[in-house]
Amino acid sequence: MPEIKVTPLGAGQDVGRSCILVSIAGKNVMLDCGMHMGYNDDRRFPDFSYITQNGRLTDFLDCVIISHFHLDHCGALPYFSEMVGYDGPIYMTHPTKAICPILLEDYRKITVDKKGETNFFTSQMIKDCMKKVVAVHLHQTVQVDEELEIKAYYAGHVLGAAMFQIKVGCESVVYTGDYNMTPDRHLGAAWIDKCRPDLLITESTYATTIRDSKRCRERDFLKKVHETVERGGKVLIPVFALGRAQELCILLETFWERMNLKAPIYFSTGLTEKANHYYKLFITWTNQKIRKTFVQRNMFEFKHIKAFDRAFADNPGPMVVFATPGMLHAGQSLQIFRKWAGNEKNMVIMPGYCVQGTVGHKILSGQRKLEMEGRQILEVKMQVEYMSFSAHADAKGIMQLIRQAEPRNVLLVHGEAKKMEFLKQKIEQEFHVNCYMPANGETTTIFTNPSIPVDISLGLLKRETAIGLLPDVKKPKLMHGTLIMKDNSFRLVSPEQALKELGLAEHQLRFTCRVHIQDPRKEHETVLRVYNHLKGVLKDYSVQHLPDGSITVESILIQATAHSEDQGTKVLLVSWTYQDEELGSYLTSLLKKGLPQSTA
Amino acid sequence: MSLRESWFIARARHRFAMTPECALLLPGVCAALADPRQPCSDDTCLEKLLDWFRVLTRFDPTVTLVQDNPCLTELITSVLALPEPSPSILSFTLRLAGILAASETRFQHLQQEQLLLRLFGRDGPLNSALWEDASVRSGWVAGVHSMVHHQPALRFLCNGGGIDVIFTLQGDPSLFVASAASQLLVHVLTFSVESETTKPLSTTDRDWPACAQMIIKHIEDSLQSSSASHIEQSLKLLTGLFDSCRAMWTKVLWLRIAKQIKSFLTEETVQAQHMLANLLLKMAWSPVFSDTEGSFWALVTSALEHLTPVQAGPLAVGVLRLYKCPQDVRVQALTVLLQPMDCILRAASQPLEYAGLLDESVSDPATVESLLSSKSSCASLLCQTLAHLEQLLSLIHLHVDLPYASLLRSLMAILQFCNGFLSPASPLGSTISRILINCLRVQKSALDVLAALSEREGCDALIGSLFDVLLAYLESPNTSPTVLKKAFQATSKWLVRLQGLSCSNSQQQQTEKILEDVFLVLQKRLCSPSWEVRDSSLEFLTVLIKCLRDQDEFRQSLLSSEVPRLTENLLEDPESYVRASAVTAVGHLAFVTYFAPESPVIGSQYNKENTVAKLQEILSTDSEGFPRRAVINIFTKWLRQGCTGQLEDTEQFVSRVIQIVEHDLDWEVRLGGLELVEVFCSKTICQLGHPKCPYAPVLSTVTSSIHQNESLQIFCRAKLFGFLFRSLCDCDKPLGQRACDILLCLKSNFYPFGNMEDSQGIEDSPPGPSIAWLQRTLRQGSLAQNFPTEGGNGVDFQDPESMMLALGTVGLEDLHDELNRCSDHVEKSPQSLLGDILATVGTVEENEADCY
Repeated sequence: MPEIKVTPLGAGQDVGRSCILVSIAGKNVMLDCGMHMGYNDDRRFPDFSYITQNGRLTDFLDCVIISHFHLDHCGALPYFSEMVGYDGPIYMTHPTKAICPILLEDYRKITVDKKGETNFFTSQMIKDCMKKVVAVHLHQTVQVDEELEIKAYYAGHVLGAAMFQIKVGCESVVYTGDYNMTPDRHLGAAWIDKCRPDLLITESTYATTIRDSKRCRERDFLKKVHETVERGGKVLIPVFALGRAQELCILLETFWERMNLKAPIYFSTGLTEKANHYYKLFITWTNQKIRKTFVQRNMFEFKHIKAFDRAFADNPGPMVVFATPGMLHAGQSLQIFRKWAGNEKNMVIMPGYCVQGTVGHKILSGQRKLEMEGRQILEVKMQVEYMSFSAHADAKGIMQLIRQAEPRNVLLVHGEAKKMEFLKQKIEQEFHVNCYMPANGETTTIFTNPSIPVDISLGLLKRETAIGLLPDVKKPKLMHGTLIMKDNSFRLVSPEQALKELGLAEHQLRFTCRVHIQDPRKEHETVLRVYNHLKGVLKDYSVQHLPDGSITVESILIQATAHSEDQGTKVLLVSWTYQDEELGSYLTSLLKKGLPQSTA
Repeated sequence: MSLRESWFIARARHRFAMTPECALLLPGVCAALADPRQPCSDDTCLEKLLDWFRVLTRFDPTVTLVQDNPCLTELITSVLALPEPSPSILSFTLRLAGILAASETRFQHLQQEQLLLRLFGRDGPLNSALWEDASVRSGWVAGVHSMVHHQPALRFLCNGGGIDVIFTLQGDPSLFVASAASQLLVHVLTFSVESETTKPLSTTDRDWPACAQMIIKHIEDSLQSSSASHIEQSLKLLTGLFDSCRAMWTKVLWLRIAKQIKSFLTEETVQAQHMLANLLLKMAWSPVFSDTEGSFWALVTSALEHLTPVQAGPLAVGVLRLYKCPQDVRVQALTVLLQPMDCILRAASQPLEYAGLLDESVSDPATVESLLSSKSSCASLLCQTLAHLEQLLSLIHLHVDLPYASLLRSLMAILQFCNGFLSPASPLGSTISRILINCLRVQKSALDVLAALSEREGCDALIGSLFDVLLAYLESPNTSPTVLKKAFQATSKWLVRLQGLSCSNSQQQQTEKILEDVFLVLQKRLCSPSWEVRDSSLEFLTVLIKCLRDQDEFRQSLLSSEVPRLTENLLEDPESYVRASAVTAVGHLAFVTYFAPESPVIGSQYNKENTVAKLQEILSTDSEGFPRRAVINIFTKWLRQGCTGQLEDTEQFVSRVIQIVEHDLDWEVRLGGLELVEVFCSKTICQLGHPKCPYAPVLSTVTSSIHQNESLQIFCRAKLFGFLFRSLCDCDKPLGQRACDILLCLKSNFYPFGNMEDSQGIEDSPPGPSIAWLQRTLRQGSLAQNFPTEGGNGVDFQDPESMMLALGTVGLEDLHDELNRCSDHVEKSPQSLLGDILATVGTVEENEADCY
């Protein structure tokens, strides 16, 4: 029986580094190739040695698919392709291909800057890796090879994020990556057609949560920034180069415009321009509102947001600064934080996840006295706020996607085990499909029931409809014909046409059966008794007694002989064709009961 | 232990020591971990805690750690007492207990507390519902692995039935657990044999220690079982054993199982050929089996004969890489690798016009032919074979002779099958050509081998037709960008080879023609709509200039083509990667045009000033880091090679560049600026004849000090010091480190006799107020403050006297140590980790679900 195998190397019952291996109809695909930012040794990358025990990775894997540009989904890609040695095709959407290297480069710089590490990919490796990437359009069917095809669907979440359908023959898997079922300020909602995959691999970050509207969180954010600026304080927003930063820029820009605020907003990295360039370039990927207003004014051309210079940090008066890196663990954001931390009028807003050890993590967990380098103690008096703007589907959204795609099986990844367990039960109850949640390193096997499309000949169709009722979508109809399997295709044709096409002669197949009857009379007398008996019972059939002593009922032939060892026993040889199968069976069972006494 | 190793250990011990502060925090952390009401700590925290304990226990086998910190055993007790501990905490506890029990004294301590049995024995998690969780099983295996490093632990494991658990876990549904279990068995077997035997072992049971006997019996039983998975598990275990253990007893073990293993080669029912090949490979690499007379090598030969080419390939290439190996095995291995290539050659040309790769008498091509004619196996067999050949060719010392010319013919045939240039009439040839057409995987692999082959002798006669094939790839619009990149790589290697050939007249003509064709196609590729292609083309050009810039024909062909002009145009490419590559290419082109001692073509189109101005413009205005980084690298390269003119010009040039880069937002550009400064300083000092320069004549003290002054004045005029001192306080650490190195170097030049007090002229003048300020700022500044803007507090960075004073008085040595101390030692310290875990106690879990 055909099967689909799924083994997460990452994102199996965790929200770490996504990397999921799928085997479908002999093809092996890697879904995402993420990095865990919480480690600074080999543990940050998935353990690729488990992919294949024998042979080279490039020979084993047919392709790698990246769902979106977040580092927990693509951060290990240059390592995998340039250091581990995978040399096969890599697929992602156009925006992801454009933005991915910016984030990889940003993270490489932070890593090299802060930790002085050597075992990390270089700028050249990022470029070489990106040159191997094949970019795909939404809804474009891409033929990886003759059998394997993939297709991207819109996933919301971040610019360029996509869900991917992987199809080999009639078997298919859909991988959602991260997605969002509600539109937000600059992106639309995820959408997929009713593709009925054998398996839907879905993220489950918010498996048990019904999230409040993002608008509330945005209002809260604006209120906090506004209040701080009003009282003359400075607001620091540590961000990564791209993604959340642009989202918050749009928010502030519109708010500043509406409220006619004058306090300066700065973006510190010099990457704004490039990032905004991509948002402009891929305007079709943003939501309808942004697309509509694009004609009058491009949302990503900011009037109020200016480039930051190091000297500005010392300027008096209120300001808002976006600075990298997002976890306050090096570079500019940390430097500004140090300058501003001592003043209670100021505020730092952390809009994303921070790994253990970073200053971001420490202040979020409430630590207010931080040991800095040189055993200096930094007292944090500024306000610290955490705001999650991440755009994942919540429990309702996940159920909605399942309803939309109608998968035969569901597999949960990218979430916590406990929450997954809850959602799994809910899915199984509501949709009556199997739901799996393998841990990292565990393989889930799903048996598929392949539905094979068959072409039917017009002649046969006409003949069958002529004898039966008119075709009805709701009532399946049984068709008789001959199945021809030729050149990788299946066709149902009439037997005559099949014989003609294949140049075969027709053979008649007869079923035979021997029935023993106790009758001491002569053979021809026994035959006569049988004839009379059948004539009496089978009134609607043509029963004939032929001159050679045999009896026929339709195509059924009956002959009698005496048993070689026991003359009192007569052997009736019954034979019939396939067409009279039913009658033949009935007749033999009738004869097996013996002959009635009255005919004697 | 080497000096370096012991230094590292001492450093690690110091960094990760159990300080009083840590000891104070630890009880709170243990209590929090054992408290089921607390949200489970971030798994990275738990992993890092275990890392810390691993370091702590590695250097200290005593019981002090557990005695002084009773909270550790209390943590284990509390977790065991929980009715439903979370799987991650239980897994953590198992691993922690294993790490602690790695020394005999601590093992006894935990035994007295009766903890180990409850963790690793039958009454532990092993028989609870939690065992269903893979992380718990994984924790159990890891814990046992850490623990079994002494006899009592080994006895504990064997007598308590632990070995049977590990046997079962070999077939665990989790790949991680199964693999860890297999490694654990290897460890236990090795440890048991090596710690419990005193005399050489024989094949009979009674010599072997009890624990080893159990494992070996298990291996033997599994090998004889009818279950494929059991056989596979044992083969995996043996592979791990022979890979990691090179002791003589492994040979004795082999004698016990050899017969069974041999039978797998001939029995078709056993489907573990890949594993079998892998096992034999690991054994072949073990010195234990290096004796070429042994029956082991007969088995390897037989395996190479019986296994399919795909299965035998890795074994064949592994054997060929061996220094010592019987000749007949080598021949057989070579046959495995060359057979597909031979088959291709024969399919491409029937009857064969030249020598094949193999003697027909030794090879039976039927299997390979059938694999190559099948759509499903052709590409994978070829890709594997090609990858193996590339591996072999990349070895410096190859202990086997390969028929390079025939190999090259075969490679060309493959490449021509793939681009449709060859479709032979033979049935096999036409089948293969149909299968291979447009096959990117095979094209890439073949081009890789082709590039590697350029280093080998014997192919020169074929070079003309080889370039026909390569040029067809470079020209064809159907060539994919990834294949094109490989084609460029192969072409550059062969062009270098071509130039190295002896120059007859006809050969020179051939070279010129090839170069002309290459530049023609490069012109076209530089205008490609795909940025990947434009970038690869520029990279190709740079490589060519690097390798061939001294060759006249090359320079002529390059300069008479449109390539230089097109390259300069690409400085304005919309794609930043391409702009950066164009900068590098233009920078290298300069070596052929205006920096060349006798430039063949000097015309107005190659204007040095224009190029420099263009590159400076990129450096100051390009919105992206890559092109700016490329410019600064090229400038440094030019400076290093002495292409920036006389000292005066160079001074102005460097000064201009520094002013541009010192405010760059990309710290790597600023770092590039510092590199430029470093080269400039050493060049200047060297040029002005300081005695430190090895090539300079020895000067008297008087002239030396004049020159010092002169160079100091040059550095001041070029505004180096402002940049250097400011970089010391840069928020990006590598800059501070590099600037400090340069300043220290300058200091040693200007104060050749030691400290400031010893030198003439300035000993009486105490540091002025501005220098005192600089000292103060640097002392605090690099740690907390940003360096103020221009001329803060009146330091004149262009005044030679002030700078001489600054160099003499600022504590650069201390600053150097401070900057070089691992910048994230606070972040990584155990105290920080413990503090972070404690700080999260009581916080809401919400933050963790977020991700980037």
